[in-house]
Amino acid sequence: MMISNFLKAVVIASLLVCSVAQAEIVVVVNNTNAAALTKNDVSRIFLGKMKKYTPVNVSSSNALRADFNKKALNKSSSQVKAYWSKLVFSGKGTPPKEFGSDAEIKAFVASNPNAIGYIDSASLDGTVKAALTL
Amino acid sequence: MKHTTLKSFCAGISLLVATSSHAADIDFSGFATIAAGTTTASEEQYLGYGNDFDFNQDSLFALQTSSNLENGFSVTAQLIARGRDDWSPAFEWAFLGYEVNNNWKILAGRQRAPFFMYSDFLDVSYAYHWISPPAGVYNLAFDSFDGIGSIYSSQLGEFDSTFHAVVGRNQDKITLPASAGGVEVKPDFKNLVGASWTLNRDWLTLRGGYFQADMTIPVAALDGLTGGWNASGFGNIAEALKAEEDKVWFAELGFQIDYDDIFVIGEFTRLDLKDTGFSNDDSFYISIGKRFDDISIHVTYGADDDELENLLANVPSNVTALAPLYAVTQGIIANEKREERYVTAGLKWDFHPVASFKLEVTQFEDNLDNQQDATLVKAALVTVF
Repeated sequence: MMISNFLKAVVIASLLVCSVAQAEIVVVVNNTNAAALTKNDVSRIFLGKMKKYTPVNVSSSNALRADFNKKALNKSSSQVKAYWSKLVFSGKGTPPKEFGSDAEIKAFVASNPNAIGYIDSASLDGTVKAALTL
Repeated sequence: MKHTTLKSFCAGISLLVATSSHAADIDFSGFATIAAGTTTASEEQYLGYGNDFDFNQDSLFALQTSSNLENGFSVTAQLIARGRDDWSPAFEWAFLGYEVNNNWKILAGRQRAPFFMYSDFLDVSYAYHWISPPAGVYNLAFDSFDGIGSIYSSQLGEFDSTFHAVVGRNQDKITLPASAGGVEVKPDFKNLVGASWTLNRDWLTLRGGYFQADMTIPVAALDGLTGGWNASGFGNIAEALKAEEDKVWFAELGFQIDYDDIFVIGEFTRLDLKDTGFSNDDSFYISIGKRFDDISIHVTYGADDDELENLLANVPSNVTALAPLYAVTQGIIANEKREERYVTAGLKWDFHPVASFKLEVTQFEDNLDNQQDATLVKAALVTVF
């Protein structure tokens, strides 16, 4: 009994450790979207260079945003902000719309065939499709 | 009767209110630069700065409003107030945009001419490392124009290509250099036509541009001289001193390398103002920098060479009657000649997600007149919102 309790604790602890270590970002698309996306595609979509998708961001106060900027776009948050100010103030583009939570991202992506977003892998469910894990 | 009028007036107002509340969403955004600078010695003057701290020269505040109408149409207006213009605001951009498709966008109205790599966001200091782009290169008579722009983006193999063509005109008032009277005049750059082409792939950006226009700039201070040459039978010299619908052109080549934390940027420009009385201008800069997390450091070397063509090549120098005209013209040619060099070292600190602090020191050298040499120290807070 004690051993099994101890084992349980170890398993739970290791699960926790693993889930922290694997706080992965999943790029999600609408379930009807069959396209295979590369990291380069995701970068181009979120920088407004590939326009057939409608990208959505989590709000800048969310830690996932900075992580995504680094992993997918290879830029710091300041660099991304600078990139978009070049386009915004010359009328050449508008940055992706922002949502406050993974749930809102999923709801938007689930109801828009061309939408693309990213969420914490822990929030992934059947309402959206995982296109790429970062 | 009175009642009816009042009623219909109220109905009209409520209709207006109802219409505006159903209108498209309007986005507001903006940017600002608060800069201060001073030269390091009492007699030094450079880029509008003297030896007392000046807070106006590079400071600016901009508001942009844009609205996406339906069916690919949008409207954008950008109002900038500059300290050096006594903070009186002016529209730098005011255009109707139309997205023909995902690749092609047309802008109609007041907009920026893509003369340089940084033209599009010239005043958005937050978007680049300097406080403002090198003045030795970024010194054309105007930046914005009124007309049509066409921006075509596509993929060429591994490269993203942007082809930006413009047609239009600029008649914005300018202040002539002190040597030409220092007065405000209304020039006319008509039949402005040109294009820039930008290729970008990962860490490499290459671009080039060519523009031409018919330039007219009235310089009253030269009327006596041109009248004299005309009366002496040298109408061709009078013509070459006057900017009257003269065909002028400008070309630019630029590159940008942004690899890991290192960036290298260069631009080379040629301005041909032959037969206008204004000098031709070759200029370039090379800028190198490195980013360390929130801090970037950079150094820029630039050169700016101006020269007026030799208008006196076919005039005998020993004719007494022509001597005064000859001397004055020779003086103008000498005065228009410039060989300027500068080095700017600076740092940019992104201390906040949407704001940066910048510090720069520029050492300026005039190869033809070392009395003009100067050292300028500038600091700035820049933001976007």
